[in-house]
Amino acid sequence: MHIRPASTTAPDRDGLAAVAAVDLVKVYGAGDTAVRALDGVTVGFDRGRFTAIMGPSGSGKSTLMHCLAGLDTATSGRVMLGGTDLTAQPDRVLTKARRERIGFVFQSFNLLPQLTAADNITLPLDLAGRKADPALFDRLVTTLGLAGRLTHRPSELSGGQQQRVALARALVSRPEVLFADEPTGNLDSRSGAEVLTLLREATRDLGQTVVMVTHDAGAAAYADRVVLLADGRLAGEIHQPDIAAVTEALQALAAGR
Amino acid sequence: MNPVLRTQLSGVSRRPARLLLTGLAVLVASFVVYATVLAQQITERSLLNGLSGTPEATDLVVREGTVTGAQLARIAAVPGVAEAAGRLEVGVQAGAEYLTVAADPGTGPLSMVAPVSGRYPAAAGELAVTPRTVQRLGLTTGSEVELRAGDETPPVTARIVGVVEPPSDYGDTAYAPLGTVSALVTEDVLQRVEIRLDAGADATAVREGIAAVVAGPEAPEVATGADVRLEEAQAMVGEINQMFAVVGMFVAVAVAAAGLIAASTFRIVFAQRMRQLALLRAVGAGRSALVRALVVEGLLTGVVAGLTGVLAALAVGHTVRPAAGALGVDVASPGFPLAAAAATVALAVLITVLAVLAPAFSAARVSPLEALRTAATTGARTGIGGGRRLFGLLFTAAALGGVAVVLAALPEPDAQDFDPSPLLLGIVASGACAYIALIALGPVLVRPVLVVAGWPLRRLGPVGRLAVGGVGGSARRAAAVSVVVALGVTLIAGTLVGGASVQVLAERELAASAPADFELSASDGTGLPPGYAGRAAASGALTRVTPYRRIDTTVGGVETAATDLALTALPRLADLDLAAGTTDGFGPGRTVIARYVADLANLRVGDTTAVTAGGRTVRLTVSGILSDMGPLHSGLVVDGSDLTGLGAKAAPTGLLADASADGEQARTAGLHALRDLTAGDPRYGVAVLADQRDQLRGNLTVVLAIAIALIGLTVLIAVVGVGATTALSVVERVRESGLLRAVGMSRGGLRTMLTTESALYGVVGAALGIALGVPYAWLAVRATGLNAPLTVPGWQLAAVFAALVALTALAGVMPARRAARVSPVTALTTD
Ligand SMILES: Nc1ncnc2c1ncn2[C@@H]1O[C@H](COP(=O)(O)OP(=O)(O)OP(=O)(O)O)[C@@H](O)[C@H]1O
Ligand SMILES: [Mg+2]
Repeated sequence: MHIRPASTTAPDRDGLAAVAAVDLVKVYGAGDTAVRALDGVTVGFDRGRFTAIMGPSGSGKSTLMHCLAGLDTATSGRVMLGGTDLTAQPDRVLTKARRERIGFVFQSFNLLPQLTAADNITLPLDLAGRKADPALFDRLVTTLGLAGRLTHRPSELSGGQQQRVALARALVSRPEVLFADEPTGNLDSRSGAEVLTLLREATRDLGQTVVMVTHDAGAAAYADRVVLLADGRLAGEIHQPDIAAVTEALQALAAGR
Repeated sequence: MNPVLRTQLSGVSRRPARLLLTGLAVLVASFVVYATVLAQQITERSLLNGLSGTPEATDLVVREGTVTGAQLARIAAVPGVAEAAGRLEVGVQAGAEYLTVAADPGTGPLSMVAPVSGRYPAAAGELAVTPRTVQRLGLTTGSEVELRAGDETPPVTARIVGVVEPPSDYGDTAYAPLGTVSALVTEDVLQRVEIRLDAGADATAVREGIAAVVAGPEAPEVATGADVRLEEAQAMVGEINQMFAVVGMFVAVAVAAAGLIAASTFRIVFAQRMRQLALLRAVGAGRSALVRALVVEGLLTGVVAGLTGVLAALAVGHTVRPAAGALGVDVASPGFPLAAAAATVALAVLITVLAVLAPAFSAARVSPLEALRTAATTGARTGIGGGRRLFGLLFTAAALGGVAVVLAALPEPDAQDFDPSPLLLGIVASGACAYIALIALGPVLVRPVLVVAGWPLRRLGPVGRLAVGGVGGSARRAAAVSVVVALGVTLIAGTLVGGASVQVLAERELAASAPADFELSASDGTGLPPGYAGRAAASGALTRVTPYRRIDTTVGGVETAATDLALTALPRLADLDLAAGTTDGFGPGRTVIARYVADLANLRVGDTTAVTAGGRTVRLTVSGILSDMGPLHSGLVVDGSDLTGLGAKAAPTGLLADASADGEQARTAGLHALRDLTAGDPRYGVAVLADQRDQLRGNLTVVLAIAIALIGLTVLIAVVGVGATTALSVVERVRESGLLRAVGMSRGGLRTMLTTESALYGVVGAALGIALGVPYAWLAVRATGLNAPLTVPGWQLAAVFAALVALTALAGVMPARRAARVSPVTALTTD
């Protein structure tokens, strides 16, 4: 388990990458105040794998994820979701992709306050006019320990329960890729561990592709691979990470600045 | 500066749109208040100009006493008097017709007439007539007419030399200089003298000088022109004062509405800032500091909004005159009432501060813990606490109590000298309590309405379901918005119900007093010669020629007229609706009676009563009671044979007829046909009831137009309130929008959802508003003492419902578009 230089091979070379960025650049603002949040990032995320994105604060992790997920448009470069190029697509296509091919879990504000937990889970499917697969729904609800909570509204749920509802929502539509931006940031270590275990099980048992942004070396250790980001550029990656390796790599990045 | 206040104010300057939206309601409120002041000014001045018979230039009036021509000359000579015009009106017989000859100088500021054609009379024996007099009496320029002022005075021949336009044209007036008019009568007495002073003359001194001239046993009063004009105008508007009381109530409600809207918008704005306020509390800000900061913010909002509103109203108020002028209507300019402007700004500040108090206190009560919760969780509370429920129930009880008190104090129908203002104030107070109760209990009331209204929407798929869920899931917010809509709908529904009731009342009154276009009757009560009716019908210019008989009778101690004019004889009589009983089977031995007769003689349908006239008696059974007056203001409608039994002669008392077509020309033709019938016989007079009807309707139209203008302003408040509130609630939920977009809702879907939500606010509000507005309007109509029926203009109310829902949907369109344009990432990262 060494830190290896970032892979620069074409990400979709073997058709395994579920989602990939090619020379992605994102500039916020213009002129003197312009911020290059992403500065030519090329990275692929393999199908059926759990990848963590790490890096110092402000390194562009969230920006990368938003671009990969079709929530935001890049300044230049390409985003490939499976065989589809998401760059330069009209909003209609992006919307459909988000609804049917992508799942999300955010750090907070994941749920609509006026809907029950069950309605929140099936929201993307409702929007697509599809029915949830009852077997999958039941399995998710049981595994996530939400069986007794389905008729509750988000304000009646704990933070960990809210995150689990969000996770169920992200998984129930069988998305090609599940994105999670600091999903455990608001949780205590036990709830956090639950969520992370679930993410790992989703990759193992359901073949789900998961991309997660995190600051926590412990959380990153659940992943199959860690991608390191610094100043909007790729700064290395760790395969089969453990806490020590991740911590070391992060310290090296901080010292190198 | 207080650091909390600084945080608040910097927040305000960072998000000016929110302040603007909060201030907008207050701005429009002060606009409405000041516009109302200006509208009052315009109305008052227009009424003074239009209704007073005294020219504006008049400084002093000598009246109510004896003034002779010689005294007039001495008054004109008093130092400081620029002009003195003696007024004298003499009623003369011009051929077979009645003509009023009035004295007017013809030129100068004291003249009340404007030349139309020809010239103003100068020499004796010359007259000018009004345009309608030319038409009615055929007095064209150049023609001659014989005038007879009384039986003793010899007839005078006068020549028409011009046509002049008077302030109001009744079609029977001629004008001439004073000398010509006083020559028609033997006594040298003037009715009054109007005096214009030299610029800068000392009014008091001149007044004393004039008082000295007219001093004597029957010394007249010397009053100022302003006082006289005011008195005259007040006498003229006295009859429509009751209707103005209703209008005044709507203005009061508008002010209350503005306050409630402001409170509701503040509540939403503060809810948006709940986390920020909680954070301030968490880092050690005191509650009172928070309240102070929020109240100061409200105060600033009030000042800015009040000033802007006043200036806007002033701008609009001063366009009314030119705009009306372009339409050919002469209204007065509102002027610049500065004290009222200052008072309006003060009122705006007061309302804003009052409105901000409750939201500020409840916002400052925020627990520091809220800072740690998500903003959405705080906004989504749906139920209400026990305290709030109790508060709401208390105010419900107060509102019901108010209604009970008003009901107990309702006047008798047709009560005389009844002042409706206390009752109307009571209704406003009760209505305000009902609204406070509605605000408090709103979240509970929203649900049931939504269950019904949302049912079809829920079938329409996820967007409809989400919209209903969005409204129902945050019932507090929904209630806050819907209450604003409910206010608007209540006002409109109230106006429609009140207006419809007054309209029915007016039509009834018109049917009673003017059932046909013309009435031909014998002035001495002898009856018309036989054959008149047949000849009138044969003339071709008249239709529905209906002879009738009428005699004075006594029934149950009540003296009233009885007529055999059947209620089915003329189409307009259909407006005389029955309060009880029926007209079916009407015939000999039966009578339909006016309501006041039923009340005074204590008669009910089915009662049999003795009717006496000139010593004869017949017994009649009451088959119906009219809601108001009988035709031609008679108290009894009886069969012809019963009238004969009471001693009525066979010859008709008069006949009614309609012109055979609409329009002024047909009316004149009908008049001429009737006049030909009488061949100038002075015993028979023709009354053009259609003219009276037009005049009454004209009065009503003016009042309704003013009322609608005032209510239009109130409705504007409600609609702006809806727009602002919807916009605020969309802004507040920008993160929700972002989340929905992130999980795959399309732009169009989000737009549809948010627009549907604001339309649902309209549905809920309109339902609540109509439920409250109609009963309160009925109560108000009852309280004015007008004997108006309770009318429900169903189609109009349905249209209002649809219009309000459309308006609220429209109010949501702009914010919805804006919310949908924002990228999901931006929306999610907004706080
Ligand atoms: N809307 C924006 N406008 C301007 N600059 C932005 C915007 N969003 C992000 N940035 C900048 O882009 C850079 C990357 O931001 P990003 O949110 O991707 O960082 P991050 O790695 O997720 O940081 P963190 O770990 O703190 O969440 C930062 O320098 C940030 O200041
Ligand atoms: Mg981030």
